Amino acid sequence: MIPYQFIWLIFLLPFFSFLIIAFFIRPFVKQESRIAGYTLIAALSISLALSVWTLASVMTAPNHELPVPVINWVVIEGGVTLHLGLLVDALTAVMLVVVTFVSLMIQIYSQGYMRGDPGYHRYYAWMSLFTMSMLGLIVAGNLVFMFVFWELVGLCSYLLIGFWFHKPSAANAAKKAFIVTRVGDFGFLVGILILYMNTGTFDIAELHELAITGVLAGSVLTWGAIGIFAGAVGKSAQFPLHTWLPDAMEGPTPVSALIHSATMVSAGVFLVARMFPLFENSPAALTTVAVIGGVTAIFAASMGLVANDIKRVLAYSTISQLGYMMLGLGTGGVAIGIFHLFNHAFFKALLFLGAGSVNHATGTFDMRLMGGLRRMMPWTYATFVIASLSIAGIWPLSGFWSKDEIVISALAQPVLFVLAMITVFMTAFYMFRAVFMTFGGEYRGGGPEAHDSHPHESPNVMVVPMVALAVLAVFSGLWNVTGHFGALLGHGETHGFFAGLFHPFTQVLPWLSLILAGLGILLAYAIYDKKWVSAERLGRLFRPLYSLFLHKYWLDELYENVIVKTVLLRGLFGSFERFDSRGVDGVVNGVASSAIYGGRALRRMQTGQLQLYGLFMGIGILAIIFAIFFFG
Amino acid sequence: MNLTLFIPELTLTVFAILVILLDLFVRQKRVLAQVSISGLVIAGVITIAMWGNSFPAIFNNMLAVDNFALFFKLIFLAVAFLVILASVDYTSRFARFQGEYYALVLLSTLGMMLMAGAADLITLYISLELTSISLYALVGFLKDGKSTEASLKYLLLGAISSAVLLYGMALIFGFTGKTQLGEIAMVIQTMPAQTLLASPALILGMVLLIAGFGFKIAAVPFQMWVPDVYEGAPTPITAYLSVASKAAGFAIILRVFFSAFGQPEWLSLNWGMIFAVLAAIGMTLGNIMAIPQTNIKRLLGYSSIAQAGYLLIGLAAMGFSAGADTAGRSGILFFLASYVFTNMGVFIAIIAISTKLNSDQIEDYAGMGKRTPLVALALTLGLISLIGMPPAAGFMAKFYIFSAAVQHNLLWLVIIAVINSVISAYYYLRVVKVMWLGKPASEEKISQSGTLKLALVLASLGILLLGILPGYVMRLAEFAANMRLY
Amino acid sequence: MSLGLEHYLVLSAVLFSIGLYGALAKRNAVIILMCIELMLVAVNITLIAFSRYIVPAELTGQIFAIFVIVVAAAEAAVGLAIILAIYRNRQDIDVTKINLMKW
Repeated sequence: MIPYQFIWLIFLLPFFSFLIIAFFIRPFVKQESRIAGYTLIAALSISLALSVWTLASVMTAPNHELPVPVINWVVIEGGVTLHLGLLVDALTAVMLVVVTFVSLMIQIYSQGYMRGDPGYHRYYAWMSLFTMSMLGLIVAGNLVFMFVFWELVGLCSYLLIGFWFHKPSAANAAKKAFIVTRVGDFGFLVGILILYMNTGTFDIAELHELAITGVLAGSVLTWGAIGIFAGAVGKSAQFPLHTWLPDAMEGPTPVSALIHSATMVSAGVFLVARMFPLFENSPAALTTVAVIGGVTAIFAASMGLVANDIKRVLAYSTISQLGYMMLGLGTGGVAIGIFHLFNHAFFKALLFLGAGSVNHATGTFDMRLMGGLRRMMPWTYATFVIASLSIAGIWPLSGFWSKDEIVISALAQPVLFVLAMITVFMTAFYMFRAVFMTFGGEYRGGGPEAHDSHPHESPNVMVVPMVALAVLAVFSGLWNVTGHFGALLGHGETHGFFAGLFHPFTQVLPWLSLILAGLGILLAYAIYDKKWVSAERLGRLFRPLYSLFLHKYWLDELYENVIVKTVLLRGLFGSFERFDSRGVDGVVNGVASSAIYGGRALRRMQTGQLQLYGLFMGIGILAIIFAIFFFG
Repeated sequence: MNLTLFIPELTLTVFAILVILLDLFVRQKRVLAQVSISGLVIAGVITIAMWGNSFPAIFNNMLAVDNFALFFKLIFLAVAFLVILASVDYTSRFARFQGEYYALVLLSTLGMMLMAGAADLITLYISLELTSISLYALVGFLKDGKSTEASLKYLLLGAISSAVLLYGMALIFGFTGKTQLGEIAMVIQTMPAQTLLASPALILGMVLLIAGFGFKIAAVPFQMWVPDVYEGAPTPITAYLSVASKAAGFAIILRVFFSAFGQPEWLSLNWGMIFAVLAAIGMTLGNIMAIPQTNIKRLLGYSSIAQAGYLLIGLAAMGFSAGADTAGRSGILFFLASYVFTNMGVFIAIIAISTKLNSDQIEDYAGMGKRTPLVALALTLGLISLIGMPPAAGFMAKFYIFSAAVQHNLLWLVIIAVINSVISAYYYLRVVKVMWLGKPASEEKISQSGTLKLALVLASLGILLLGILPGYVMRLAEFAANMRLY
Repeated sequence: MSLGLEHYLVLSAVLFSIGLYGALAKRNAVIILMCIELMLVAVNITLIAFSRYIVPAELTGQIFAIFVIVVAAAEAAVGLAIILAIYRNRQDIDVTKINLMKW
């Protein structure tokens, strides 16, 4: 049994690393030194060891839950009491292991990738802070404590997306991400307040208890849960707040790998899992989760079919997979959703590291400029293919086990099931499209900044973490082959048909999904490797669909042109000058721009004439008096 | 009468006179700042020593010396301390009258300390005017076009609003025949509800009081002076106005409305509702109008209107709780304490940057992250605290006040407030973005003096301390929120 | 006809309104300052009338009025000084032209 002080250490260690890097290393150590990276790697290694210990302890603990004494943080007499409490159960422990492991791998990789970057120390400082916040979010025992870390994670994400701030696209993407996710956070906060108003507690375990015993029920529960889900939608880039994630790829690739694939974006899924008893007791909320998840999965996958930037393909794939997780939570339960999160973290991080490695060699992310890297970068190629097979759901790789469970749970809702099946096909297709475009055929010269015409394999410090992740991408799924993972996370939601390694072949559904995935791979092979079918001709054949996908369903345009320009501007502020904020989009910017216009209009009130100010005061007094005599 | 309870105020008076006298003899004007600071420290130490006791009011119940007053006095002393630290370099641009500058700061602090304790309409009026008149002069201290314009606007509007306030006081006095707050409360509570309802004098008087105090705290629609005056005033004085003067306004509103109009319940519900509506309008208007601003002091003027809106939520909660619990009041106290460090941090950073650049334009802040990283970091921390994001003090403050409001069924107001803090992130972060991501006009580093750095570090530490370990100050605020009734 | 409380109150209300109107409508800063003084005088009348009729045994209102007069004098002094500074800056004290800062 792990002493509880060590659990605190798990998330405090990266924080210490942040302090050391920010206040000692960055000001006093010279730029070339790589000590900042080693500091964080050392901290994370210990955190990982402690996390594994925590997981082992949780497995043997009664109810799979470890008691942790609480510290009083804020006590307001006759009002709120906040504990600095930790909630350590199987869900926490699994997430801890995933986050610390993936972080550790990515930080090792970054030692190679970020080498020589002028912002090297700053990078590791923000990364430390991010890891601390993410781990804090996982162990938090009450909603306010959690919200604090939730916001901190968002802040770090903002800082890291805008890491290369001299690029205006990066700075804009950072702002977009921050503001779009804050829309979700607003829902989250309202959800927390609704729950608090009706129960008087912020404590997660107590809220679980109240939901299970039925004290907390009806519309309060539903709206509270939907508010919380809104936070998850923002953070996990679910439809319709997904627009920030593809843009967020402007950050350094290891950041995309850690934050925008494996950890932060899955915080939304984690949040729903954490509050699952609330969703479970509110059918409306649970259905919302499932539908949003299913729609997002196919929606994002379809946009991934036509993207040419390898990181954007991966970004859409991430959104789509997160949709799967939500679908799993909504139709199956905690274990099913989280099991996919668990597997996805490894293979998606691996895919991003692969993309980073390719970029390191060719100087571009545009797949049309790559090709033929199979021979030049054998390790990158091998690991990338393993990860692609895994995400496509090929037996016996990890993706197969978790994805099929989700698909099977969706069987109860036929529409969602069909969507999930189509997504299986699409996933296999876009992943292998990326594989063949990047690694197959002949080298097409790389980006304008390519070092030479013969790309090399990346240094060992980058390859080793990729291999380690590849091993997990193959084997991590085996944890649940006998239903062990499902039993650990409670509720026993695992489907009985996973009774052994070969057992799936006795069933119809796994065959079906394997065939669909195989077809997807085959089609990609035919078009992009053998060129039996011309991609252009196919594109012309499906022109409407093709441009629909390529233009992201014109959603950005819808937000910007229709909602912002027509409805808000012509409707509300038609008399004002034309709206000119290009390159930013989303409903948020609609709100923001109407606020801007409102501000511009209202400031005319402030004429600088002091007597007018006095008149306003007088009118104000009269208005108050009238209000009192009319309503008072 | 117990004069020992009046020693902090006496100390400040003595030091203010001392500073003016010393100004005649001392060549090295830095000494004046040192003398002023030592006066503030002595007054502060004595005030702290008085903390926790239960003293009777002095001067025939005209001046309270309860913990509520002591809490506010400490706030004012702390702000004045930081303002003087931040002024040391700034005042070098005045060729003359440095002694008067420091003396006026001390005197307006004295006025605010009296405001915190005022338990009688007469003391209240005089202390308010002592504060205001000193500030009118301070605002115009630069004597250039903008500064004098700001000063004139502040003076004329301030004088009108204090005349209105006075008229309100006269009506209350006429209605009850008393000027002492406790006695007013007694008269109101013993009157039958019909008499109260039938006479417009009480309600009218209350509304005029709200208008007069609303001017001080920058509540809509009495806020119009704020952006202009903030822009024109010398920056340390802007900081002083935005924090101390606002806190003093809240101190008197809290005391007057809690002790004089706290009962009966329908009355407090009535003014609670007025404050709730003013809060909603104030934060929305302040935040929206802040968005297109290009001058940072003006931006902070609008931001301060919005922050006053958040603070008014606490007053609304106090009205709705009918004095049953302290959450609303202690929420305001805690918010103000965190606001002191936050806004002072922001303004000190602005002083540090603007004096060197000779510009208050936001676009000129580009590249400050490179040119003076520590100041930029402190400014970022302050702005994050103004947004209300963890781990800064602003988050805890908002959380405290919002949860007080939620407890009293003001969820609608809290939702408006939360939407507003999302909007506010937009313009606060714009400044952050310009500082860290903008292209600097020159690569030259900007160096800062020791006193400014000290002030900046103190303010930043305060922001972090209140954000991460708010418990201690919260207990102090709860303790202080229990006003003594006389 | 004997003078009652109401008469004083009406007188002071009228004076206060005239003062307020002047303060908001006049353009010369000095006249505005004088109008504000008028408002204060109106309040003084109210205070003393209330004191005389409501609590004749005490002198609270009268004392209050004396304080108001003292404060008003101080305010006027500072006000005139500021107006002087404005005049030195722009040779004009028309408040409608004092709008360097707006929006």
